[in-house]
Amino acid sequence: MKLINKSAQALLALTSMAFTHTASAADTVKVGVLHSLSGTMAISETSLRDVLLYTFDEINAKGGVMGKKIEPVVVDGASNWPLFAEKAKQLLEKDKAAVVFGCWTSVSRKSVLPVFEKNNGLLFYPVQYEGEEESKNVFYTAEAVNQQATPAVDYMLDKKKEKYYLLGSDYVYPQTTNLVLLEYLLSKGVPIENIGGGFKKDSSGKIISAGKYTPFGHTDYQQIVAEIKQFSAGGKACVINTLNGDTNVPFFKEYAAAGLTAESCPVVSFSISEDEFRALPAKQLVGQLGCWTYFQSIKSDANKAFVSSFQKWLKETKVDGVKKEGRVTCSPMVLSYDGVYLWKAAVEKAGSFDVDKVRVALQSGLSFDGPGGKVTTQKNMHLTKNVFIGETKADGQFKILKEYKDVFGQPWLKGTFKAK
Amino acid sequence: MTRLFSLIACVLFAISPNSFSVTPAEAVAKAVLLEDKTDEQVALIQSVAPDQALIDLLTLWKEGGIFLLEVPDHAKTPVRLDDTKDSDEKQGALLLSGQPFTDAAGKQVRLLASDLNAAETDSDLRTAMKSILDLAGLAAPDRQARLQAVETLGMGQDPTRLPALRVRLSKETDAEILSVIKEAIALTELKTEDPETIVAACRALGNLGSIRSQDALKAIAKSSGATARAAQEALRKIEQHLVTVNTWGTLFRGLSLGSVLLVAALGLAVTFGLMGVINMAHGEMIAIGAYTTYVVQCIFGPGLELSPFGLHISFPSLKATGWLYDSYFIIAIPLSFLTAALAGIALERCVIRFLYRRPLESLLATWGVSLVLQQLFRLTFGANNVQVSSPRWLSGHWTFNDVSLGWNRVFVIGFAVAIVVGVFLLLARTPLGLLIRAVMQNRSMAACMGVRTERVNLLTFGLGSGLAGLAGAFLSQIGNVGPSLGQSYIVDAFMTVVVGGVGSLFGTIFSALGIGMADQSLQQILGNPVLGKILVLAGIILFLQWRPAGLFVTRSRSLDN
Repeated sequence: MKLINKSAQALLALTSMAFTHTASAADTVKVGVLHSLSGTMAISETSLRDVLLYTFDEINAKGGVMGKKIEPVVVDGASNWPLFAEKAKQLLEKDKAAVVFGCWTSVSRKSVLPVFEKNNGLLFYPVQYEGEEESKNVFYTAEAVNQQATPAVDYMLDKKKEKYYLLGSDYVYPQTTNLVLLEYLLSKGVPIENIGGGFKKDSSGKIISAGKYTPFGHTDYQQIVAEIKQFSAGGKACVINTLNGDTNVPFFKEYAAAGLTAESCPVVSFSISEDEFRALPAKQLVGQLGCWTYFQSIKSDANKAFVSSFQKWLKETKVDGVKKEGRVTCSPMVLSYDGVYLWKAAVEKAGSFDVDKVRVALQSGLSFDGPGGKVTTQKNMHLTKNVFIGETKADGQFKILKEYKDVFGQPWLKGTFKAK
Repeated sequence: MTRLFSLIACVLFAISPNSFSVTPAEAVAKAVLLEDKTDEQVALIQSVAPDQALIDLLTLWKEGGIFLLEVPDHAKTPVRLDDTKDSDEKQGALLLSGQPFTDAAGKQVRLLASDLNAAETDSDLRTAMKSILDLAGLAAPDRQARLQAVETLGMGQDPTRLPALRVRLSKETDAEILSVIKEAIALTELKTEDPETIVAACRALGNLGSIRSQDALKAIAKSSGATARAAQEALRKIEQHLVTVNTWGTLFRGLSLGSVLLVAALGLAVTFGLMGVINMAHGEMIAIGAYTTYVVQCIFGPGLELSPFGLHISFPSLKATGWLYDSYFIIAIPLSFLTAALAGIALERCVIRFLYRRPLESLLATWGVSLVLQQLFRLTFGANNVQVSSPRWLSGHWTFNDVSLGWNRVFVIGFAVAIVVGVFLLLARTPLGLLIRAVMQNRSMAACMGVRTERVNLLTFGLGSGLAGLAGAFLSQIGNVGPSLGQSYIVDAFMTVVVGGVGSLFGTIFSALGIGMADQSLQQILGNPVLGKILVLAGIILFLQWRPAGLFVTRSRSLDN
């Protein structure tokens, strides 16, 4: 009897829980946040979690999405790529998240891709990537290669640079980007002997890798810097740098010690944003260039409002583990922010949270005036946006040198540039 | 009619960039106020005759000594500061013309440099400034400034600069600068029309082994005729010169990489090699040294606030600048040794002394300690890397016959020699060294002879950890300082000690230099940093198959073995 009593109680408790759950589900919508909050990538990805939570709070304060409050489900990918897939599965199958914002590295994106395709989920991906991918279940707010790498090269061509040294970390993003850049440079009439870093060819003589690559955690850049010094001895040379994370520190220290400067041979870096600067020796990077679709130093009212209200949110928030001091905003953060608003606009246009309907709305060319200027969604699930070239200052901010307006995001670039 | 003419003249005068009525101070002030309009700024500063006043102002601007002052009810004004500092560190404001900047009451405004916004420059503007400064720099009294000026002028290949270079050639006395001037003249002559001059210039460049001229020569070599042949000949000579440069460069880089390995492994050679403790926490002892350097730097600089475990630790700030700040590293070196040695002593007391006869368990225990220490760094200093800036005397380089020797790299070679000599003297010439050697050879026997082995163990482990701390102090100058700093060196350190032969300090020295040289030579030959390292590791595996005990086998009559 006692047993029956207990189980009856448990049943009652369960049903009441289910009831409260459905009651809350009526006025909220679950949204997944899938970033690494521990492990090597945590340094970068935690900032994206923060900005997403801020955006949800901002939207909720103004009434939510179609009258429903956003209920974030934050999971930790822990810099572990198979775990990303598991967490994605959990978000889609168990939590029934209407949309997921997440991933940083290309490998984590590739690892969750099958899960999203199988469950017909929707992922917003915010970090510059190598292209050569287009899934109906991923919306890429990220910079495609033609929204970061090729504009940067255009800028260097404008500055009459004739020699290009390609250097990167050894993984998919730098390898693919540099192959595209090689084709691009050749199409712009730069002779192949003016492209430094070396080439690897397959048995048929086709170039399968261009540039110099070092593993993560590489510490000794003496030889590479010596090579760059000889490469750039005649002037008119620059370095295209896709080194990731903290390997930039030994590289730039060696670079400065060898007497190379931003004036004698500038370095354009694609993986160093304001956020990464918090852990880099700014002094050694002054004058070097960066290329992103947003800089904190953009002087627009929208950006000023965004920066100050994000800082205010940081001060006030009660979320665990949010670092409050010395925070900055950077391109991946703003692209996360833009993504949430674009999703909101798409849901409102579709009048539904259904992924297929939202996708149709997204592909119809929605616009949003974000901190980096106007962004517009495209049929190919990418984003038209402005691209900026900036020069590093000693305080870790960028001085904007050039703006390319409304660049159309093109994921498929390999093989599209024909050599002259 | 005359009025119309004078009007036109007036307009022309006003817009003409060559109007000399503008003083340098006025031009620079105007240029500073243009802020983001780089092209106009460049045109303005090029419009003034380059006299000393202009050079001083441009140098000041480039180095961030000109400030844009925003006073309420007043247009933005570019100002600089005079040399008078009062008790609040405030300095008097001067207009660029040198007159004091006054407020409404006619009193000079006094400002704090750190409150002001320096007028910005960007790369185009700096390049334009540099070309003006370089031309002026030809006659600069400072040797380095002169050298740079000549180099830049040469690379500009502007024939209109030839007379200025020739004048300097006749006046210059410094041998190195003379050869750079000759190179600059020859490089510029390549752009002239006369084929004979070009041929002569090619020959001169070839004889100078001018790496800088390769690109220009390659362009000429593609054409035909006598000039092309001369260029090809010059290129061949330069190629030969490059082989020599690369050989010496590789030797130097190998030596410096070897020294880095040696510095990182020497502590392990003591704790693992001599004492037989498989010390997986060696890397974290290195990190302790690096973090100590960081803390010392912060004390010399802006101060430091830490809050581990809710405790609040605040380090005072000395607010040092100039040479005093640059000397922080000298203080940091012994302090790194001490902190790491103390940490090592604590580790020995708490963990290792129970494990001397159980080496495999010492491996597990020290690995655990290493994880704990890493987390401790994260909690104390944050998960991000911290910034350690190099003192000025470590961040330059010497160029010797086109081989560039970074001061930090030269320093590490000297540092390694000093540490090795120090350790050798300690072990071979002091009573403590004698006791260490006795205990390491046979712990029980030494104990029987009345040696207090516990204390010797403690001191030896402290010495090994202290050496790791020294390594950390240096490594902070060339790489990252973060919680996982130790992890990136621990494998290399073990590798060095094992290849050298466990128990032999000399083995460690030879293996460090050997691995460094092999790594750099293979990188140079294969042109691939990863492949070089793989080959070195494969080589080491084969070598250890052949000589499992390493380069120098320590034979002992110890009963332990």
